[in-house]
Amino acid sequence: MNGRRVLAISRKSLSQFRHDRRTLGFVVGMPLLMIIAFGYTFGGQVSHVRTLLLNEDAGPMAGRLVANLTGDTLDLVDVADSNAARDEIRVGGAWAAIVFPADFSTQLALRNATIEVLIDGTSPPIVAAVLGSVRAAAERTFAGAGGAGAMSLDLDYVYGSDETRFIDSFAPGIVGLAVLLATTVFSVIIIVREKTGGMLERLFATPLRPIELVLGHAIALSILALAQSAIVLTAAILLFHIQVVGSIVLAFGILLLFAIGNQGLGMMLSAAAKNELQAIQFIPAILFPSLLLTGVFFPLEAIPQEFRGLSAVVPLTYAGDALRSVMLRGWGVADIGWDIAALLIYAGLMLLGAAALIRRQA
Amino acid sequence: MADVPATVGPAIESRDLSKRFGQVEALQGMTLVVPSGVTFGLLGPNGAGKTTAIRLWLGLTTPSSGSARVLGEEIPPRSVLPRIGYMPQDPAIYTDLTVGENLGLFGRLVGLEEPTIRRRTDAVLKFMDIAKRRDDLVSTLSGGMKRRTSLAAALLHNPDLLLLDEPTVGVDPELRASFWSFFHRLTERGKTILITTHYMEEASRCDLVALLHRGRMLACDTPTAIKERTGSANLDDAFLSLVRSAQVGIS
Repeated sequence: MNGRRVLAISRKSLSQFRHDRRTLGFVVGMPLLMIIAFGYTFGGQVSHVRTLLLNEDAGPMAGRLVANLTGDTLDLVDVADSNAARDEIRVGGAWAAIVFPADFSTQLALRNATIEVLIDGTSPPIVAAVLGSVRAAAERTFAGAGGAGAMSLDLDYVYGSDETRFIDSFAPGIVGLAVLLATTVFSVIIIVREKTGGMLERLFATPLRPIELVLGHAIALSILALAQSAIVLTAAILLFHIQVVGSIVLAFGILLLFAIGNQGLGMMLSAAAKNELQAIQFIPAILFPSLLLTGVFFPLEAIPQEFRGLSAVVPLTYAGDALRSVMLRGWGVADIGWDIAALLIYAGLMLLGAAALIRRQA
Repeated sequence: MADVPATVGPAIESRDLSKRFGQVEALQGMTLVVPSGVTFGLLGPNGAGKTTAIRLWLGLTTPSSGSARVLGEEIPPRSVLPRIGYMPQDPAIYTDLTVGENLGLFGRLVGLEEPTIRRRTDAVLKFMDIAKRRDDLVSTLSGGMKRRTSLAAALLHNPDLLLLDEPTVGVDPELRASFWSFFHRLTERGKTILITTHYMEEASRCDLVALLHRGRMLACDTPTAIKERTGSANLDDAFLSLVRSAQVGIS
């Protein structure tokens, strides 16, 4: 072995990096982005969970317990009656409702008290946070008196059940994430390949219009995305028995809309990539915000409040929310209107942006 | 070979056409007429502005100043694009599609119906002598075969005007002769062919030539007339003589 030849190769590779500023920026910037993104979101505690409170207790004990529901885990909001509480949870306005019955204090003295907790069980971390807060408050309130053992929580699942597992809650998001990655990355690479091979120029020497090229690619990749979604969903259902209570057809419709927007995003990004290596560097830039800021794995309530606003500009937030609502809550089109509207706007803006930019790349 | 055949209106007319990229003047005030039904050579070394001129005529880029008409339409010539065949310098065909699939794509993009595409694909592949490779992936073809396929895609829709950017660069002499034979057969059928090349010896095969150097057009005439005007035995010498004259003029 000749050391000089080995070093010649090393020197050549380092020189190539030096000439490719974008790749150099990626090598330095990406680990920083990763540690910042994971540090702020991965270790976050669930906080500010909107929770309804109905205290009908004739005695003083429920009030004392509520006074001990301190900290920022729950955002308590009074509600008029249990029907109103159930309705608000049903439409996604709150995650839970804590209901103290009129005889709570009396029954507590008889060591037979119950607190009714209405809960949206589609997110196990949220369920754990709500129940944990109530149990901790009970411990603090009745510490030494043995009262905590004199009461129980009566769980009433508005959505999901005590059998809803973590995988059930994140499976819809995984499908969305798979579609996001496949469609965005493929479309970036396809356009960069066309650009570098002189094909874009050749195509635009025919009557082909930019929007026709964009839509053509979008349709082809959407078909692939739907096939991929079908495989992921089938595997999740067969292997992990994930819960699906809503319409699979509607779920595919959401995925299709999301996929179309992603292709537009990919084609816009391709304008900034000169070659396939630079195109691949977009993957983490797309992946991390989608992984951490959209509620796919960790509920939005686990992101520090100052960063929660960012989730509103990450499209997977809407696709993931819509998919979870359809698959786990059984919601219909009308119930996910805002998500659909956001995805329609996303798809429209991205496709138009792509059509505007793609012609300049020829 | 006739120097200037009878025309039915020019295929291309450029009037003071210029293109600037930052500080670089890629094309400077090109004024020329390409009559219909001729083989027109756009000659010059690399960087002379030949490809820029083709890109302008196709509407792939916009001029910095000046104007041009292609098949009677001001650039960008959208409505006449289906009447133009374009072969870029690199064989711009999908290597992960078969020869037939590539031709099918370009046929659909220019608006041919499926039966016409099938009929024209048969005819063009036979004309280009690659009919046997129709179902082969382009990635499995030799460089020469890829160029034939690229030219076949440009010919598929029977265009009135062919813009061929360095079609013979890197091509072996046998294939080059074969290409020129194709080109002459096409002009015999009334097609107009504009070819860019930096091989001066190819110019003698053209009816008309324009010599370009650093974005400027030095001459536009028949090969014979250019040689006579410069008192040169061949176009290589004629080109060098014109470049020297231009440089003296500039200095």
